[in-house]
Amino acid sequence: MSQGNRKLRLYVTIGQRLFRDSLLFQLLLHSDIDLVGESESGIDTLNRLESAKPGVLIIEENLLDNDGLTIAENALSMHPTLSILLISDTPVSASRLAIYLESGIKAVVSKHQPIQDLVKTLFYIRNGQVYVGAWNKPDTPSQGLINAYHALSGREREVAEMIANRTPIKEIAAQLGVSCKTVHSYKDRIFIKLGFERLPELILFMKRHHNGAAA
Amino acid sequence: MAITEEPQIFLRYDNKRALTAFEEEFDNNLKIDAFESDQAAIAALKERSVPPHALFILTNQPSSQSNSSLLTHARDTHPGLLKILISDSVPLDVLVSLLEKRLIDRCFEQPLDPDLVRSHVLTSALARKSNEYVMPEAMSKDVSDVPTVLIVDDEPAATKYLARQLERMQNNFRVLCADSAEQALEIIQSMPGTLAVIMTDQRMPGMQGKELLDELKQSHPATVRILTSAYGEVNVAINAVNEGGIFRYQKKPWRAAELMSLFQEAIARHCALASARESRLSQLEHQFNGLRDQRRELLLKNLSEAVDTAAGASVMTLFLQALDTIPCLFANTSHLRASLETSLENDLIQQFGEQVHRQLTRLQAAASRHTEVDEAAIRAALQRSEEPEYEHGNNAPASSILLMLCEALTTLLTASGLSWRSLNLNQTSEHSLILSCEAPLKLYAHLLAPLTRLSRPFLDQQVALLLLFVSTYRLGGELQIRGAAQSYNLVLALPLANSPEA
Repeated sequence: MSQGNRKLRLYVTIGQRLFRDSLLFQLLLHSDIDLVGESESGIDTLNRLESAKPGVLIIEENLLDNDGLTIAENALSMHPTLSILLISDTPVSASRLAIYLESGIKAVVSKHQPIQDLVKTLFYIRNGQVYVGAWNKPDTPSQGLINAYHALSGREREVAEMIANRTPIKEIAAQLGVSCKTVHSYKDRIFIKLGFERLPELILFMKRHHNGAAA
Repeated sequence: MAITEEPQIFLRYDNKRALTAFEEEFDNNLKIDAFESDQAAIAALKERSVPPHALFILTNQPSSQSNSSLLTHARDTHPGLLKILISDSVPLDVLVSLLEKRLIDRCFEQPLDPDLVRSHVLTSALARKSNEYVMPEAMSKDVSDVPTVLIVDDEPAATKYLARQLERMQNNFRVLCADSAEQALEIIQSMPGTLAVIMTDQRMPGMQGKELLDELKQSHPATVRILTSAYGEVNVAINAVNEGGIFRYQKKPWRAAELMSLFQEAIARHCALASARESRLSQLEHQFNGLRDQRRELLLKNLSEAVDTAAGASVMTLFLQALDTIPCLFANTSHLRASLETSLENDLIQQFGEQVHRQLTRLQAAASRHTEVDEAAIRAALQRSEEPEYEHGNNAPASSILLMLCEALTTLLTASGLSWRSLNLNQTSEHSLILSCEAPLKLYAHLLAPLTRLSRPFLDQQVALLLLFVSTYRLGGELQIRGAAQSYNLVLALPLANSPEA
């Protein structure tokens, strides 16, 4: 649908440069996210919102100059159609979350959640919807992921490992004695089964668990 | 509190297998009571003192739901209950008729996006408590202006004709037309009052109807939204229901007589929404005023003596009076909930009090040292307090009251995105130095404003402003604050060191 193709105009307000950069590297992998501005302070955000015209604002709760939530409330009073995602330092309790949502924030993601949660939330709220993730998760997501990894076939695991080691597809095909097309279909299946969308996610998962449970 | 528990839902199902699949997906996050018949579910609803957070209908035959006794019962007895229909596919006609009877609030086709469904339930469960603040009875407000209906469609000939027809048929509402979403937004912005009803076509060049309605839902929540289309796109309709909270989906071609009754109903709905909103706002304001008075009283009671003694003037009252001249955002339910249901009010008084006492102790220590006040000393102190390694407001002893004054100034300037370079120093006479800021300083929230949480920058700013008062008066000076919306102009007069009073 044509409306789905409109880019998500993103503004990011995060105090620490390293954290902001890391987040942006991840977010900008998605071709339908467009960065229209960034700030390290709340005051700068409010000053520049008018000209940047973002659709979504990601803002940290704890900024150095002003309270992030107060800045968010003020941004909303000027631009009621702005969707705001608040990044909290610690997981937010349900009663706290209720307060935040009432103040017009569309979602809260804590710094303890994986990047995938943030990306997912970002896409849900882009048209002004509220999004609340589950607050009592069944098991840790990484455990689910490890289970999914073990459910891969032996060949798939072999391919996953080679991909994570940046072995070119051609070489994988040669080593396994199959066609490139077959390797690609292995790769697609691995991504679907593990719920990944991008290569960096697979590489990170493999590196993180290679010497641990998934090895 | 109820909301920290799992949301409870009622589920009416036709098919055991669908039930099992549903339970597998949601069992971890929702407490599910499942019923095989409407009667059983109604009986259970009647038994409970508090209704569940949502009612799910899991069915293969959505068309049968337009006469559902369960949905009708739920609509009539529990108006706030979220009613969700889940089916393999939902024909547009069925959706339109369910919406018209107000039997469902959300609708999902299989396969479900479980995260999205869950989010709708959790959001509604979180919001439930806030509804208690809304006064149930709508004040019968006499609306003096004639309500306005805006029709948006990219075929101006059709809308103009329809508008004329509708205006000829009645005198209860005015009809305006726009031929694009963009033009509609312009009209709404330039309108003196609020728009009562908007009916927009989905397919238009530029912004689509659904997007327009999404935007209005945020910016004009009391405007009743109707989507219309000649194409039977059920996906668009479902999204408009779930995301846009539309009042109706009107199929084309339009018939003036049909639209007449639709608009009458929509206007009645708008009036109910608008007056409920208004009474809620005035109630909120009233409640918040009570909280503010209580805060003011506690602050005065706890701090006046210490602060006024340190300053040598009744500075606490001056400080609070200055805050009164700086309007902040209006109170909404989030602020009230934070004040009434969390420890915010206590923490505010306590933490602010502690920080103030700590600073007063430092001030006391610094007072024993002689302070030389002249332009060069102020500049030096300002620059020093802005250095990154300078320890602000901590327990570190301050070498002079002037330095503490500059510390406070720096905190306030930083919060406004400014630095000491924005300060003007003028020696107006031999005896005093006037210090003023070129630009207004920002204060987005303060001690007497609605708050949702306490944060370090917030408390630091409040303490700095009070300390600016204390140290200025302590040095024999005077402070003028002229408040504006979330900001203030600052003028500070300090007696010079060589002046007789110093």
